[in-house]
Amino acid sequence: MGRKVAFIAALFGALALAGPAQARVEVQWWHAMSGVLGDRLNELVEKFNTSQDKYRVVAVAKGNYDEVTNGVIAAYRAKRPPEMVQIAERGYMTMLLSGALVPVQDLVEQKGYKIDFSDFIKPVASFWSYKGRMSAMPFNSSTPIFWYNKDHFQKAGFDKPADTWQELEKQLYAIKSKGISECGTVLPGDFYWSLLENYSAINNQPYGTLANGFDGLGTEFVYNKTKVVSQVARLKKWLDDGVMQIAGQGFSPEQLFTSGRCSTFVNSTASHGNIERNATISWSATFLPHESDINPPLNSTIGGGAIWVMKGHTPERYEAVAAFLDFVAQPETQVWWHGATGYVPATNRAYALARERGYYKDHPTREIAVLQLSRGTPNENSRGFRFGNFVQTMLAQRQEVEAVFAGQKQPQQAMDDAVKRGNEILRQFEKLNAGKTPETERP
Amino acid sequence: MTLRLSIPWRDARAPMLLRRHGGGGSEAVPAATAGSSRRSGKTRRREEAGLKRANFGDGPGLPTLLLLPQLLILLFFFFIPSLRALMQSVLLSDPFGNNVQFVWFDNFKALLASSDYRQSIAVTFWFTVAQNVLTLGSALVLAFATDRIVRGRSAYRTIILLPYAIAPAIAGILWAFLFNPAVGPLAQLLHHFGIAWDPNLNPTDALILVTLAASWKHICYDYIFLVVGLLAVPVSLMEAAAVDGAGPIRRFVSIALPMLGPTIFFLTVMNFIYGFFETFAIIDAVTKGGPAGATNILVYKVFVDGFVNLDLGSSAAQSVLLMSFALLCTLLQFRYFDRKVNYGV
Repeated sequence: MGRKVAFIAALFGALALAGPAQARVEVQWWHAMSGVLGDRLNELVEKFNTSQDKYRVVAVAKGNYDEVTNGVIAAYRAKRPPEMVQIAERGYMTMLLSGALVPVQDLVEQKGYKIDFSDFIKPVASFWSYKGRMSAMPFNSSTPIFWYNKDHFQKAGFDKPADTWQELEKQLYAIKSKGISECGTVLPGDFYWSLLENYSAINNQPYGTLANGFDGLGTEFVYNKTKVVSQVARLKKWLDDGVMQIAGQGFSPEQLFTSGRCSTFVNSTASHGNIERNATISWSATFLPHESDINPPLNSTIGGGAIWVMKGHTPERYEAVAAFLDFVAQPETQVWWHGATGYVPATNRAYALARERGYYKDHPTREIAVLQLSRGTPNENSRGFRFGNFVQTMLAQRQEVEAVFAGQKQPQQAMDDAVKRGNEILRQFEKLNAGKTPETERP
Repeated sequence: MTLRLSIPWRDARAPMLLRRHGGGGSEAVPAATAGSSRRSGKTRRREEAGLKRANFGDGPGLPTLLLLPQLLILLFFFFIPSLRALMQSVLLSDPFGNNVQFVWFDNFKALLASSDYRQSIAVTFWFTVAQNVLTLGSALVLAFATDRIVRGRSAYRTIILLPYAIAPAIAGILWAFLFNPAVGPLAQLLHHFGIAWDPNLNPTDALILVTLAASWKHICYDYIFLVVGLLAVPVSLMEAAAVDGAGPIRRFVSIALPMLGPTIFFLTVMNFIYGFFETFAIIDAVTKGGPAGATNILVYKVFVDGFVNLDLGSSAAQSVLLMSFALLCTLLQFRYFDRKVNYGV
């Protein structure tokens, strides 16, 4: 009898436990992570779901960043948006002025969570905040670093890649002329990000007026009057001399590096996972080079994505969203995500924690991105970029750079044309959003 | 013998295709069979005529009902989207649709003033023309060869039809890989012969590559129609020409080709429409419109401006223009070429 009572009590107990579990508030998070990164993201969400029993986040992979953006636009127009969505850095202005979002810092504070937003690494914080308030939760932040094949450099008699573009050029030409490798470097698929935009930040070159757009929608591109022009000329020279190769469609630049064909590769720190898994070579990484007459170099800027919160949901759901965002901002979560993927820890506290645990002794290349992002004090040229329709201006620019590579245009001409086309696109964005300020209303 | 043989083929159409063997009609068909075939042909024509006169009883009820599914499909997948595109093309709007301005024809003006768009028009023109010539030309050669092959003809036909079953994106990746200058075997072969092939750098190479890929994918479509069309050519004429000493190529060029007129005309129209609208996936997989916009055909630009750049107004204006181009092109073809085509056999 006693046993029976105990059994029934246990059963009720179990039901009582299961009850709230069934009543969990469920929220959706649409994201663009695939492959290894997608698996890690699912692990992260699972960690959150098992850490408490009130909320449940459902991660939905919606394809690449463009597809996620289109998906969320369609969903918003159909009045069925997800609660959270991961959007790439280039979409910042479009999202900020869309009127479809709830500013993250307002939401989190209103729900009573105490995230120290001042603790975020500066280029991360400045990229994702508007007038000092965080509009989206930094999630996967990366920056380009310089990957190299250790054997190739040793054989050519160099310890490591040089710090400046001038010296690096000599090294790459030496590696080729000594017959160590026929391909000194491979053009990254997102070269506009690493070799033009980050190049400008690191070398203290303005990219646009009004502090790269931070001070207003009236910004205009000016990179046709900076070192970007000679940078494009340098890339063209490397291509012509066979020091640089283009992987092209149907093949990824990363494969040309990890297979040992190309000696160096400029790519995001987020490719740590892939390179560790695929590389058949002995590789290492270092800081991006800078111009010899720019010293000290400034910080690089971020790429990657942040979590935006969509308008139009119930307060209970926003409770769940705030709880999840608080979880994402925790140093423990940040350190785990940093180690699992290669993205940088977004806060100083998380970085200190990773250091404290001796993480960088075993993974020295993982620290490069953090150090490169946080060196010096960001100025107008290195804080980041605030251009509307930034994807469109970038594609126009890429097309012009390709015209240089194809020998159709001189670098100066191409950059003049790119700036002209880019400015027309910026004016269109300004016209559309004239007098508009981002939403600050509370959910 | 020759005369008797020719009779059944007078009325033969597509369904007879699979029954024909060998080149030149070496197979003897008894006169009786030939006669019955002619009779059945006449009967069939009468039945066809009867079908046209068939009525559905009184009132428009039943015909309307039967038309309804098709009309609904047209309404939801053509008329409504077209109308939305027309409306969107005179608007400037943010992607989320919270901020919409009416801008009259600014989107069209901006397009026509943009060198990028003019380049896209030129690229589309060369791409569709080259694709058309290449596709039709190869399909004609293959169809002609089908007629000459005695053994293994069905295997031959199956192999030619295979590319049609391959998804365009897969086909594109295949071609991109084969001709990739770093790793592609065919690119290596070209390099071996001293050709500095690089579609990632050289706009002409890129355009050649997408034209090849798009044509390869579409040859089978043209091929099917041409093979069927060739079957409709009276064997009597061919054999008369043969008796007069005309070789196979002469017979093909002077007799079969003119008689294929309607088929070739139809295929030209279809090839243009294919080039205008259906080559999107191949471009996306092979070049993404690059390098330097060299393969940025109109339909791909519509996609990039709409779905990557989120410039909905411009994208809609472009699709309206593209539709007008396609319509104009088809009308011109009907206006100028249709008259020269001889439909009578």
